[in-house]
Amino acid sequence: MGKDIKKIREIENDIYELLKTVMDPEIELDIVNLGLVYNILYDGDKDVRIEMTLSTPACPLGDAITENVKNTIKKKYPDFNVDVDVVFDPPWDASMISEEGKIKLGMM
Amino acid sequence: MAKNLHTDLAPDISVVKPHFLFAAIGLLVLGILMVFTSSDFAGIYYNHRMLAVTHTAVLGWLMMLVFGSLYQLIPVVFETSLYSEKLAKFTFWFTAFSIVFLVYTFWIGDYTRLLPYAATLMYLSLFFFVFNVGMSYKNARIKNIKSVFILAAVGWLFLAETEGLLMALNFKYNFYATSHVQHLQGHALMGLIGFFVMMIFGVGTTLIPMFLISHQLNESYLYKTFYLINGGLAGLILSKYFFPNKYLYFLFWVIIIIGVIYYFFYIYDSYKKRMKKHLDVGMKYTMLSLVFLLIPMILSLIMILLPQNPELNRWGQVLALLFGLSMIFGFFTTIALGQTYKTLPFIIWLEKYQHLVGKYHTPLPRELYSEKVAGIQFYFYMSFLILLLAGILLQNLLILKIATLLFLIVGILYNFNVWKMFFHDSEQYINKREKEILNK
Repeated sequence: MGKDIKKIREIENDIYELLKTVMDPEIELDIVNLGLVYNILYDGDKDVRIEMTLSTPACPLGDAITENVKNTIKKKYPDFNVDVDVVFDPPWDASMISEEGKIKLGMM
Repeated sequence: MAKNLHTDLAPDISVVKPHFLFAAIGLLVLGILMVFTSSDFAGIYYNHRMLAVTHTAVLGWLMMLVFGSLYQLIPVVFETSLYSEKLAKFTFWFTAFSIVFLVYTFWIGDYTRLLPYAATLMYLSLFFFVFNVGMSYKNARIKNIKSVFILAAVGWLFLAETEGLLMALNFKYNFYATSHVQHLQGHALMGLIGFFVMMIFGVGTTLIPMFLISHQLNESYLYKTFYLINGGLAGLILSKYFFPNKYLYFLFWVIIIIGVIYYFFYIYDSYKKRMKKHLDVGMKYTMLSLVFLLIPMILSLIMILLPQNPELNRWGQVLALLFGLSMIFGFFTTIALGQTYKTLPFIIWLEKYQHLVGKYHTPLPRELYSEKVAGIQFYFYMSFLILLLAGILLQNLLILKIATLLFLIVGILYNFNVWKMFFHDSEQYINKREKEILNK
């Protein structure tokens, strides 16, 4: 049986919205508006993979943020296997911050 | 997978925490000692009580904070774990005892009976630290200009301590042919510029852009800073020991100052490119401290150019005292107070909330301390700095007394926030928040 693409997109969108509650504790902005989330891939079954970055590779809060991503998703989808893939290519920069994020940070 | 992140390499919190606590108590003790010695700030700076105050400031307060912060930051800067956590814990207790012993020895002015033992213990403590950091550097995955700053700083610490030990032994065995003051200046320069400035600059190259969130900075400034400060300092110390000449001193100070200015360019670049426009209390302290660093730099040149005559001799002493105090308080203490509010909340937050994030509503790191108290402390501290400098320049005992009392209040407020963070009860916070959410 083919996977329901519409359902997959719905859950990916829902996870995208959930990740807006995950804050970077230093910048005090959520990771979606910061532009740290590169990709959300749901396989239609129980595996979800989040491809994301950090504002700096040396970020001491890296584990806390990835842990937060996993816990936030698992709180709503307890049966899901959540894999967080932290990548630094492409490196994050300010242009990735959303308009809303820039306003919150006082950049606009 | 989320791997190779710095937190995998971070030391156990039990390595770091005691240093912050000792430093906080050290700051409070420093405040008390300064109230008792406020009249000495208007007199001759080279006396045993002032040596006790100075060593409480640089060892009990600042160095302990640097040790704790560096153990936490080694994984960030070197991308490796600390060489030995056991050695770090042992070093803490050994150093704590040595500092108390050394300060007591200075306070009672026992230069011949106790000082050689106290200085030997202090030397061993610092040697353990230098060894641990040196071995961590050897294992470092990243060996860039930022980590070399730290390596150079611990190298200077080793030299400063060696000179300190030799001076202490000289009180008993009297083997130095040259003036004791000359060696004291060498010891102070290696400790203040070589260790503290290099260490703060080195750690600052990573932390300041990280906290301001700025990228693509011009690192060529850092190379210039590194070579100019280290070259200038080495020249200055060698000329003090072997070729005393005021024009040489002037030349080497100018080289050091140019190095400092290049560092300012680097920080300004970071400030200009920052994404976080609002400066919190921690970053306000940090930025101001760099401006205050200009004061001892300018004073160093004035001191050299001051003509040698008995009438101006008194001013020479006042300027020397101002130089030392503007370094210790204007620069080091200002940045230490600021960076405590940037690093300690995160260290405690990670300990108490890392496993709870996403499951419950957790506070932000800055909510672990009272921002109001931190803000009040900032204004008390600025008032203290202004009055301290004014009191010394005017040689006014009343102003100095008020200044030292203000500093004691700063110590109390700082301790309030540090202890508040240490005693933060995550379970209680979460239960309270859950109840609030249910009631909504």
